[in-house]
Amino acid sequence: MKALNFLTRTRNGRSMDWTDWLSYSYLAMGLFLMFGPVLWLVMSSFKTESALNEFPPSFLPYGQKSIAVPGEEKMKPVYRVKMPDGSTKELAELRRIGLTSTLIDPARPDDLIRVNVKDREPVREFKLATENYTDLGGQIKFGTYLWNSVFITLIATILTLLFNSMAAFALSKYKFSGRTAVFLLILGTLMVPPAIVLVPNFLVISELGLLNSLWGVIWPAIATPTGVFLLRQYMLTIPDELLEAARMDNASEWQIYWRIVLPLAAPALAVLAIFSVMWRWNDFLWPLIVLSKNEKFTLQLALNAFQGDLVTQWNYLLAMTVITLLPITIVFAFLQKYITQGIASAGVK
Amino acid sequence: MASLQLKKIIKDFGPTRVIRGVDLDVHDGEFVVFVGPSGCGKSTLLRMICGLEDISLGELTIDGTRANDTRAADRGLSMVFQSYALYPHMTVYQNMAFGLENTGIAKDVVRAKVDAAAKLLRLDPLLERKPTQLSGGQRQRVAIGRSIVREPKIFLFDEPLSNLDAELRVSMRGEITALHRRLGATMIYVTHDQVEAMTMADKIVVLRAGSIEQVGSPLELYNSPDNKFVAGFIGSPQMNFAPVTAGHGDNIVTAYGETFVLKTQSKPAAGTELTLGVRPEHLSLEKREGSLALPITITGVEQLGGHSLLYGTLPGANPSTDGPRVTAQVAGQVTTKVGETATVYAPPEACHLFEANGDERAVR
Repeated sequence: MKALNFLTRTRNGRSMDWTDWLSYSYLAMGLFLMFGPVLWLVMSSFKTESALNEFPPSFLPYGQKSIAVPGEEKMKPVYRVKMPDGSTKELAELRRIGLTSTLIDPARPDDLIRVNVKDREPVREFKLATENYTDLGGQIKFGTYLWNSVFITLIATILTLLFNSMAAFALSKYKFSGRTAVFLLILGTLMVPPAIVLVPNFLVISELGLLNSLWGVIWPAIATPTGVFLLRQYMLTIPDELLEAARMDNASEWQIYWRIVLPLAAPALAVLAIFSVMWRWNDFLWPLIVLSKNEKFTLQLALNAFQGDLVTQWNYLLAMTVITLLPITIVFAFLQKYITQGIASAGVK
Repeated sequence: MASLQLKKIIKDFGPTRVIRGVDLDVHDGEFVVFVGPSGCGKSTLLRMICGLEDISLGELTIDGTRANDTRAADRGLSMVFQSYALYPHMTVYQNMAFGLENTGIAKDVVRAKVDAAAKLLRLDPLLERKPTQLSGGQRQRVAIGRSIVREPKIFLFDEPLSNLDAELRVSMRGEITALHRRLGATMIYVTHDQVEAMTMADKIVVLRAGSIEQVGSPLELYNSPDNKFVAGFIGSPQMNFAPVTAGHGDNIVTAYGETFVLKTQSKPAAGTELTLGVRPEHLSLEKREGSLALPITITGVEQLGGHSLLYGTLPGANPSTDGPRVTAQVAGQVTTKVGETATVYAPPEACHLFEANGDERAVR
């Protein structure tokens, strides 16, 4: 009810003003532009392979109706056939040779009916091809890819939070010579495009023997200038008196960091965690370079590998794409408040 | 419980010297108040005592042991911060227990100590609350409670009441002095408010620009200030000052030509420029033999019922600076109006004299 009230608000609170029309149509257009492709993707992921290849494409996942025919192993597609006597019947097609289609009436399986292919058209019904999803587990090691992605995302995020917050703590709360220089150096790496450090990074990882290891994806990614910057700016707002009070309270520097600063920096940590999850989950180029063995692939790499040179199983590819989108969508839906807050506070995206 | 000595303590921030050689003895069980205008270094001095700032030069001893290089936590002191510095993510109990837990004391001992302190400060119903759910006065008490549970040798307070409203400040003032009496502990208290200093202290230390101006009990400071700064700082409303010159003998000549007799021990040479100081509460409208007459033009009257404040200027007042100004606090209610002239009288025993130049030391 609340949501409905919100969505139907008008400028003067009563009737629709022309500005209301304008803004609602603008918003609707935006919604369509942003959400249309995603919706199309989700719908398509429920289509069978043949339905995907249909032209013109349909929005809803329709599939050709098929029925079991006695004496035949496979389900047979159903057609609406214009009979020579002018009537139409729904018949199952056994085979098609040239321009002649051989059909059978399931009610009377003994009669074979032969008609010209022009005289029949497929019977379509709304049908969710859930096998696109259920098959994923079996034939394509989907579970392995999912685990790889989850492992990299989780571990990299935890390490990112730990290392970046320690750096930010030192940069915001300790006075040492060269502090500003170090901070500027860290920020300066923001200006180095990732493509430039790609080869050096690869060489380092290769020398360390981390190729084809998930840790080879994790280690280079955990220290981010964005994270250090975001956390440092937040920690600057934590009053020094709290740290001094803790110092008087016999807390070691580690305890100050772990029991005072980290809990107080939780909002900034949440923002960084969201960013890190999105970065690592969506990361493609670096895993592509480091991981070349199929069983080490992340979801993103698997999606890429699914797109074969000659044949692409679009139905599976689309289903996998939907599953790949889901975690990020959930993260976004539940934590969008923190995301906007984080973008506003750090000016990053 | 402990004593504390500062010997020639100096603090430099880069090239700036903020504490210029402070010598001070704090005896066991004393309530010492550091008072001074903002920027006088009183907070810095306190932070040096508790170990949050390094001591550039000089020696700090606690109970006779040099403590310059002892860690803040190991000095056995506790501090109540101006902002209270309560950990916002912890409950009142956790806030008070944090320091004890860090020393590795058994959980049930911690519980007992915190409960005892909470009882003492009437915090027991609030132990599970977070600091944000407390009022200013309650937060203040939690901050004090956090100090108490650690059973420190010396309690340090850094302007603890400045964030409270006036009414609460008065009652907290009473609570802290009561606490001092009950615990019998040594306390050092920093404030810029001379009323707090006067009402709470056993011993007041008046600081200016990093040096001690005078140390003494509240009444010593009130009755015989060492210099014009202390005289002006202690007491409210502020002491009146007027330029005078020394005449022959014990004669003093005011800027508007009146001569009166004021005995001094040092007998400044005739013609020496001096500053006369009289507290507003010592001025009266009744003439008494030997009193100094101050003819003032009234610029403001404040009737407070029990007493009245008269504001005025002396003859020959500089219109641009509007000075020297005179404030008189007279008993009862007055009929004097703004713009009228009135004469207020200062008894000689209430008159102070200061050098007009240099250190402005008291000559009487």
